[in-house]
Amino acid sequence: MSNHSEAVFEKQPMWAGGRSPFNVSYGKLMMWIFLLSDAFTFSSLLIQYGAQRFSNVQTAVTTKWPDPASIFNHFPFMHGFHLPLLFVSVMTFILILSSVTMVLAVEAGHRNSKKEVQRYMFYTIIGGVAFLSCQAWEWVTFIHEGARLDGNFFGITKEGYDHLHSVHFGSHFEWDKAIDRTNGPVPFAALFFIVTGFHGFHVFSGVVINVVMYIMTVRGTFERRGHYEMIEKAGLYWHFVDLVWVFVFTFFYLI
Amino acid sequence: MEFYSKPGEFDAINYVPHTESHGTKELWKTFWLLLGITILDFVIYFVMGASGVRNVIFILFGLVKAYYIVGAFMHMKSEKVNLALTIIVPVVFVLGLIWVMLYEGDAISKSHTNHSPETHTEVHK
Repeated sequence: MSNHSEAVFEKQPMWAGGRSPFNVSYGKLMMWIFLLSDAFTFSSLLIQYGAQRFSNVQTAVTTKWPDPASIFNHFPFMHGFHLPLLFVSVMTFILILSSVTMVLAVEAGHRNSKKEVQRYMFYTIIGGVAFLSCQAWEWVTFIHEGARLDGNFFGITKEGYDHLHSVHFGSHFEWDKAIDRTNGPVPFAALFFIVTGFHGFHVFSGVVINVVMYIMTVRGTFERRGHYEMIEKAGLYWHFVDLVWVFVFTFFYLI
Repeated sequence: MEFYSKPGEFDAINYVPHTESHGTKELWKTFWLLLGITILDFVIYFVMGASGVRNVIFILFGLVKAYYIVGAFMHMKSEKVNLALTIIVPVVFVLGLIWVMLYEGDAISKSHTNHSPETHTEVHK
């Protein structure tokens, strides 16, 4: 690479050509632009969610917008217990952890340490797969509970809320389906599947990209190239997935 | 792989600036911060009842997390200001869309609830 002549290019006027005004590689700049467009995609989905939620009215056929804690209250191997928010917090933790191992791989790449890049990329892939497994479990549970893309048996009646609020965190809880539940607003379930599904698809493609990066590292492609910039670009994408999750977590589960 | 430039000329396609490691200390600090805020989210969810104030706290926490992910993990802090502005300024316009859409949604729900019960159910048939 032309690192030795970098100083020469730096002396050119910023926008006169013959140098990179942002001082980044072409590929990295394009990754940033792609992430910007992807941010718009996710914004539009989350704004849809907000608009639907604000416009929702309780009617004779559907209830008001469901309280997320009452719905996502399951935890694997703890069937029948009221554990709101716990599982999704674990998922968030997994994603943050895999973000750290990713950025450690990038840092190792800056030191051209092939072994460390390999190790941290492996951890990152494990984290991604773990997150996807968690999401699959949550979807299965949610569908089992009666949520569909085109319907939502997740309206909670007043009796249902009274029943729910009578139990404490971690105690046994089972819906009385005849009294507690009725039809809920369809967009709630539909947007849950669309937004977490779209995010999960991003995680999936991130895992695929990371596997490719891992194989390229093992085969010594980056070592021969002299730099590990591809790891950095894959890292940008991976952190963006984490960034989107921060907002999905906030708007779908917390608020 | 020199497709577009002669030797000695700036090669825009293959140009990769030299990067150096800044150590892992800041990265771990960011990790503990993100983890701490997530735990705080969890605690606040149960300590405070659902309210507008709580929602504002959650959104502010989300923005703080976003700042650290983009700044530290994505190295936006060490990029040139030009690049940072190119990416961040367009996102600011999304805020306008959020405000408009939430306002419209709220107006729809108000216009429905203001009807009498008979028309109310008819609207939703």
